[in-house]
Amino acid sequence: MNKIKKLDFDLLEKLLKDIEKPGRYINNEVGARSKSPEPASDFYNLISMALVFPDIYEVGMSNLGLQILYDIVNKHRDFTVERVFSPWIDFEEKLREQNVKIFSLENRIFLDCFDLIGFTVQHELLYTNILNILDLGGININSRHRRDKFPLVCAGGPAIVNPQPLSRFMDFFVVGDGEEVIISILERVKIYKCSSKDKEWFLKEISRLDGIYIPGFYKFHYFLDGSIESIKPGRKVRKAIVEDLNKFEIVQNPIIPNIKPVHDRFAVEIMRGCGRGCRFCQAGIIYRPVRKREVESLIRQSAAGIKNTGYDEISFLSLSSSDYSEIEHLLDKITSSLKSKRLSISLPSMRLDSFNLNLAELIQSGRKTGLTFAPEAGSQRMRDIINKNIKENEIIDCIKVAFSRGWEKIKLYFMIGLPFENDEDISQIVELIEKVIMTAEDGLSRKKLPRLKINISINAFCPKPFTPFQWVAQDNTASLDSKFNYILKNVPKRYINISWTDSRKSIIECALSRGNELVGEVIEGAWKSGARFDNWTDFFKFHVWEKEFRKAGLDISFFTTRGFADDEILPWDVIDIGVSKKFLLREYDRSKRYLRDQDKI
Amino acid sequence: MIDQKDTCETRIRFKFYKKDEFKYLSHLDIIRIIVRALSRAELEIKYSRGYNPKPKINFSPPTPLGIVSLAEYADVLLDGGIEENEFKKKVNLKLKPQMQITEAKKIMIKTDSLMNDIAISLYGFKLCTPSSGKNLLEEFYADIEGDLRAKSDFSRSIFDLKIISDKENSDIILLKLSGYAKIFKEENNEFFKFNNFYSFFGDWLKKYRINIESVEKEELFVVRENALKTPMEVI
Repeated sequence: MNKIKKLDFDLLEKLLKDIEKPGRYINNEVGARSKSPEPASDFYNLISMALVFPDIYEVGMSNLGLQILYDIVNKHRDFTVERVFSPWIDFEEKLREQNVKIFSLENRIFLDCFDLIGFTVQHELLYTNILNILDLGGININSRHRRDKFPLVCAGGPAIVNPQPLSRFMDFFVVGDGEEVIISILERVKIYKCSSKDKEWFLKEISRLDGIYIPGFYKFHYFLDGSIESIKPGRKVRKAIVEDLNKFEIVQNPIIPNIKPVHDRFAVEIMRGCGRGCRFCQAGIIYRPVRKREVESLIRQSAAGIKNTGYDEISFLSLSSSDYSEIEHLLDKITSSLKSKRLSISLPSMRLDSFNLNLAELIQSGRKTGLTFAPEAGSQRMRDIINKNIKENEIIDCIKVAFSRGWEKIKLYFMIGLPFENDEDISQIVELIEKVIMTAEDGLSRKKLPRLKINISINAFCPKPFTPFQWVAQDNTASLDSKFNYILKNVPKRYINISWTDSRKSIIECALSRGNELVGEVIEGAWKSGARFDNWTDFFKFHVWEKEFRKAGLDISFFTTRGFADDEILPWDVIDIGVSKKFLLREYDRSKRYLRDQDKI
Repeated sequence: MIDQKDTCETRIRFKFYKKDEFKYLSHLDIIRIIVRALSRAELEIKYSRGYNPKPKINFSPPTPLGIVSLAEYADVLLDGGIEENEFKKKVNLKLKPQMQITEAKKIMIKTDSLMNDIAISLYGFKLCTPSSGKNLLEEFYADIEGDLRAKSDFSRSIFDLKIISDKENSDIILLKLSGYAKIFKEENNEFFKFNNFYSFFGDWLKKYRINIESVEKEELFVVRENALKTPMEVI
């Protein structure tokens, strides 16, 4: 058995000298709970888990999933969970230079002393950070070289629904909702730890659970062109689903970060899943079915959470919060029960067609935050193709409401490089933006107009697994860049602030999200060549990825600009996400005929 | 309606420390933590009026990241009445042990903001001398006055220096540095750049083979009638 080793405070102090934002690496936030390992022997009776978020502290601490799992595991008598985040570049250098392993925040336990290491993976461009953290923990990144019983290494989260690119690094994957399955896993870890059983036994044992994919149990055979001939065995892994969200209360005593996180507010999940069926949207499929929290307990628990945390902002999260049937009642009750608190409310994902005057009034009772909407496309034709069921007049009406209620800051999301896109679709993005500005000029008083700010975010479309567009060829960088340049050149300059993600970043994101197990070699190579924080534009190095794909004998375009055949076996076919391939294919066909689905699916 | 003067509001000045891990938190972090703790303690801070209301709370000048401070001050205007001790007790329950209020006192007179009023800060350095360094120490005593106070860039900001031997451990000297909390300039006053001083002083000490073991902000002072007073003494 591994001895629990910890970093002492004096050494931490030495490491933190000249480090940017040292508050990232200390613990003791309000709400942080660690089962005290004093005396150390107590710790041996606990199953210890490291919950790793492979990005910096400020980003990780804004993730609600992390807070939920932290709460559930730490409430359990037999288990303890501590947090680990990616160290920033300066701190990584310091750790490597001083030969100190990465450690958890709570008790500063070195990563390799945990029984279970669980990565929560939100984005494909964080894959290299995962390898980096394992390496900083003194752990071999390849699962087949990890012969010891512990630590076990697993990954979950939306960016592993196609587990193949990371399969060589993980002992197992957890697909779907984590709340229930995490406890089932830890219970089995406990049995495994207290017995002489081997790792194979443990993996077999957990493979019976919903949501557990064990890469070692599957074998892929390929055709000469690189596509998959067969996957053995054919048994699919069914995603883990929490049938009733109400079984778990919302986290009312979350960790309150000492340093400012990206989202500094009390977050509440009101609904999981989305019934809208936008054809590009992966979250809309993988988080199905739609489950909502019961409104009265939600009100009670939210009010308690605000009281416990002292936050002055509450955020009601879901994939489409204005679709929550009792949203007005919820907002009304929250604002009236916490009237004295100067609470501001944010609904990060509002549908343009369900935003109305009532909602506007309820949200604006507190401090006014910006409003964000996602028309996604400029033309009606394109919005039909992607099944974004919203008409232009609805967009304009809704923005009119926002301006009339005094908002002067809005953000609009658009995508380019969508399937079947033509020049007209692109020029209509510009036209829509012009109409929005005209609406603003009409609606805002002369005093307010100079303060108007419209942030436009343009993203390159990236076809994702388990969407109707999973077969689609991604647009190439030259085409994406020219479309973006057209928009940039033609969009009015006044009031507008426009941002764009590097199209080459979208290409790599696509290659990683639609990649097969061979892409793992590329990720390993890229990490060895210094790639990390690839989601940060400053650190993203396209040439490194290009080189590593070449070195592995793989063609990036095979995973990106190539359209996949309808009957092709896809790397993620080992997972049963709850939506059939037949349904996705039908939706894809309908998009080709510009047919949108009127009703929610 | 006639704008009635609120009958029930309380203005409180409180002193708190940040130590251990919390010394790594920035001034802005500390402000957020205190404001939230007040909110959790269900004490309501009054807000300014206008387009962008701001909570009526202000803090003493920032302590550099990584330095323990026993003397952070804040003035807050609360809605409703509350006794000093109850205030302290209530808020401390909502704060971690690494940051606690040590003193709270109602403000009964008109005051300037802490940021403007604080004139002098006192830092305590614990210095470690090599055990064979008795001669070195004497040399150091002699040089420190001349070198540091008169000749360095910091001469204008250092107000007073006192060197005391630690009674318990003869290898440790305690050095008290009082300096202007601000550097007064024609146009904009700026804060005394403690970090610059710290690295300068650290390097200077190496000459005598002396290391800085620890440093703490010990107290802040305001000036009243040519005398130094703590912020608590003048309200």
